[in-house]
Amino acid sequence: MKVNVAVFYGCRSVEHEVSIISAVQAMRSINREKYDVTPVYVTKNGEMYTGDSLFEIESYRNLPELLKSCTKVYFTREGDKVLMKPQQQKLFAKQKDTPIDVAFPVVHGTNCEDGTIQGLFEFLNLPYVGCDIVSSAVGMDKAVFKDVLKNAGLPVLDCICLYAKEYMADKSAFAKTIKEKIGFPLIVKPVNLGSSVGITKVNTEAELDSAIMLAFSFTDRILVEHAITNLREINCSVVGDSDSCEASVCEEPIANDEILSYKDKYMGGGKNSGGSKGMASLGRKIPADLTKEKEAEIRDLACKTFKAIGANGVVRIDFMIDTSTDTVYANEINTIPGSLAFYLWEATGVKYTALIDRLIDLAFKRARSRDNITYTIDTNILAGVSFGTKGAKGAKL
Amino acid sequence: MNIYLLLSLIFSSIGCLFAITRQFQMFQQNSYYPSRYFKWLETSFNGGFLLSAILYFAVSVLYHFKLYIPQCIVSFVLLCYFLKTAIKLQKTSVKGLVFTDRIKRLYLAAALVLVLLIAVYAFLPKGVIGRIAVVICLLLAYITPVFTFALWGITLPIEKRISQYYIDDAKKILATRPDLTVIGVTGSYGKTTTKFILTRILSEKFNVVCTPHSFNTPMGIVKTIRTMLKPQTEIFVCEMGAKEVGNIKEDCDIASPHYGIITSVGPQHLETFKSIENVFSTKFELADAVRENGGITFVNGDSKEIINRIDGEYKIYGTDKKFDFCGEKLSYGRNGSEFTIKLGTKKVKFTTRLLGLHSIIDTIGAIALAYTLGVEIPDIQYAVASLKPTEHRLEMKPFTNGSLLIDDAYNSNPEGCLEAVRVLGSFDGMQKVIVTPGLVELGDKEYECNYALGKEAALNCDKIILVGTNRSKPMADAVRDSDFDTQNLYIAANFKEAMDIYSSFADSNTAVLFENDLPDNYLY
Repeated sequence: MKVNVAVFYGCRSVEHEVSIISAVQAMRSINREKYDVTPVYVTKNGEMYTGDSLFEIESYRNLPELLKSCTKVYFTREGDKVLMKPQQQKLFAKQKDTPIDVAFPVVHGTNCEDGTIQGLFEFLNLPYVGCDIVSSAVGMDKAVFKDVLKNAGLPVLDCICLYAKEYMADKSAFAKTIKEKIGFPLIVKPVNLGSSVGITKVNTEAELDSAIMLAFSFTDRILVEHAITNLREINCSVVGDSDSCEASVCEEPIANDEILSYKDKYMGGGKNSGGSKGMASLGRKIPADLTKEKEAEIRDLACKTFKAIGANGVVRIDFMIDTSTDTVYANEINTIPGSLAFYLWEATGVKYTALIDRLIDLAFKRARSRDNITYTIDTNILAGVSFGTKGAKGAKL
Repeated sequence: MNIYLLLSLIFSSIGCLFAITRQFQMFQQNSYYPSRYFKWLETSFNGGFLLSAILYFAVSVLYHFKLYIPQCIVSFVLLCYFLKTAIKLQKTSVKGLVFTDRIKRLYLAAALVLVLLIAVYAFLPKGVIGRIAVVICLLLAYITPVFTFALWGITLPIEKRISQYYIDDAKKILATRPDLTVIGVTGSYGKTTTKFILTRILSEKFNVVCTPHSFNTPMGIVKTIRTMLKPQTEIFVCEMGAKEVGNIKEDCDIASPHYGIITSVGPQHLETFKSIENVFSTKFELADAVRENGGITFVNGDSKEIINRIDGEYKIYGTDKKFDFCGEKLSYGRNGSEFTIKLGTKKVKFTTRLLGLHSIIDTIGAIALAYTLGVEIPDIQYAVASLKPTEHRLEMKPFTNGSLLIDDAYNSNPEGCLEAVRVLGSFDGMQKVIVTPGLVELGDKEYECNYALGKEAALNCDKIILVGTNRSKPMADAVRDSDFDTQNLYIAANFKEAMDIYSSFADSNTAVLFENDLPDNYLY
């Protein structure tokens, strides 16, 4: 009897394809002696499919063909179990319901990573890997993330948040405020997209509006923050829960452009990488070239950030160093990092299989602490209750 | 064959199936033990029997004089009556008949017997055999307890095979789980409490499943294994109960425990065990099974019947320094109980909201085993601190004027009440108050028990409020006979008055014990 792990990936998200790569990598690395793996591919319109061909990355080239070989499923709770059921029973082949013991979301971006898919698992009362609803949501919204960190006394850059309608009603007034409070160069980003989607560096006032409008094409809330001129980006992964967590070694991504663009991150920006291999193939330096003190500072900040948002499982936190002042700022957190940041953990000495094992254990641990076991005593309480007004002992049965 | 007689037999048979509902309900609630079921029958033997006899006599007279049409009508009316009674029974019972598979099989067997009797009449309407079949068929609706017993006998071989199938299935499941650790918990008292505390502590580190409620029969264990064990389960905590010699061995044959806890040996179920030696040897069947699996059994050294009898390899826990795991420096206060246990080389302090020596000893046993299984000390401390008492069982709550309420309103066991008063007595430095109407329904021991409770209260309390002038007289006598300032003895006519008295002197340094049988809604 093995633990059945349902790996959820894909989803209605701009990072749909990245998620497929991360998930296929993860499914290949799960210890099959301990776990059964059920792939659950969520299409761009939110339908869920399972099937053996989903394990092969090549089969995703022809999606309609792939889906034909798969079964459309849904999830429901029945008594003690969460079952995956086929949506339509085929006429002759009798399909069985599959009990799921733990969910493993490997999804990136809005409409899934941001607490949405975690809500489904909470609703089913199904143990799941990674951050819970609140920490996922905080991690996705860059503005809220900054507020939470600021409150915890952790270093972040100040920013201004804008709503689309508000901005469009009075563009020049906002441009003025931005110019005064933030100053150029600056960065414009959507508050809630990952993988650098919609982010622009703005050097002059003339470029500001088009950058803001680009960001608004992805979401209706954006933030503007000062751009650090002498910038180093450093990423660090953390694994654990609120009881104990550890930080990995640090990495320094090597950018072609000024900011890591979506192209850099996922479309094989690295010159010698053949095709899409996700975050793991991006040009980067591991471990990052840092002094011992700096590295210790960043790892410590990473753990503090992890706890400040109440994270669980594995996350990657992206930091910025202003080299002119040697100051570190937390930039953003990925609550489900690309490739689950396994390359950082392998560099730290943790095998991918062991990392996944730990993530699943953490999922069960959280589920246990949520089932508050009520402690009861030998005697049947009902036997001593007075029913009615006579105050007589012993219930009449 | 007379068509009206046939019809009345059919009506009577259907009526019988409705009439037997009550018997099935009680048979079910007595766990299908004929002996317990008969005990219930004895106590509920009443006017219903006379009514049955009259009804049967009326039907028989009609049959005897071959008045088949009136008999048919009477049978139909009776069918309606039985139906109505059965519906009313299901609606008004605290726990109605649950239509489990076993109950369905009993109904099926009953229906088969009735159909068979009708068939005998239909094929042999004239002979003596036919007449006998008719008489029995008509009679069954009025002797449902006897019929129930017969059905139990008829279905017994099938039931045995079915339960054997489930037992084998459970064993098969366990055989596929060589890495699962099974812990057996038994004892005359405290096993359910210990099981829940142990499960709570272990779940800090492991995925744990325990037998729910106080399921502790072989079938309860089998059901837990078949329906609740998950692939990720690492530890199965299994409560084992015994009423007769050999019961624990049966449980162990199914669950095959690697560790054991024996919480106590006492004079429980002596009518079936005959002697305390038999209770001891039955409980220690768990230790034998654990030894065969190469494991260790933890036993409560504070239980005299255990410590005086054991010999061999055990881990002993309790409150004596000689023991392997000893709880020391037990004290009670606003934050609950505090005690210290030496774990390895460290003296570890624990706090819990559970009160009373028995709960503390159960906790010590659970801590000992959890520590042995590798749960980290800070995790054990956290789990113990977060244990919740059962409602109205020495439950601590904030109360009037910032005082502390110890709610023991559901306790009706004389020994337990005395212990509760002693617990109150050990709240050092606080004004200690008891509010109680005393114990009831103890038959000829009632005066004696209440007198003892009064004596204990006088010894441990600063103020005593008795509820009910007549009812509390034995306690008042005891208090007056003791060395207790009667100015601090109050007798209230009812609970409301008792609360008015209490409020007049309650402050934040007051602990009040509500003992036994107080109204459910007293907090509002």
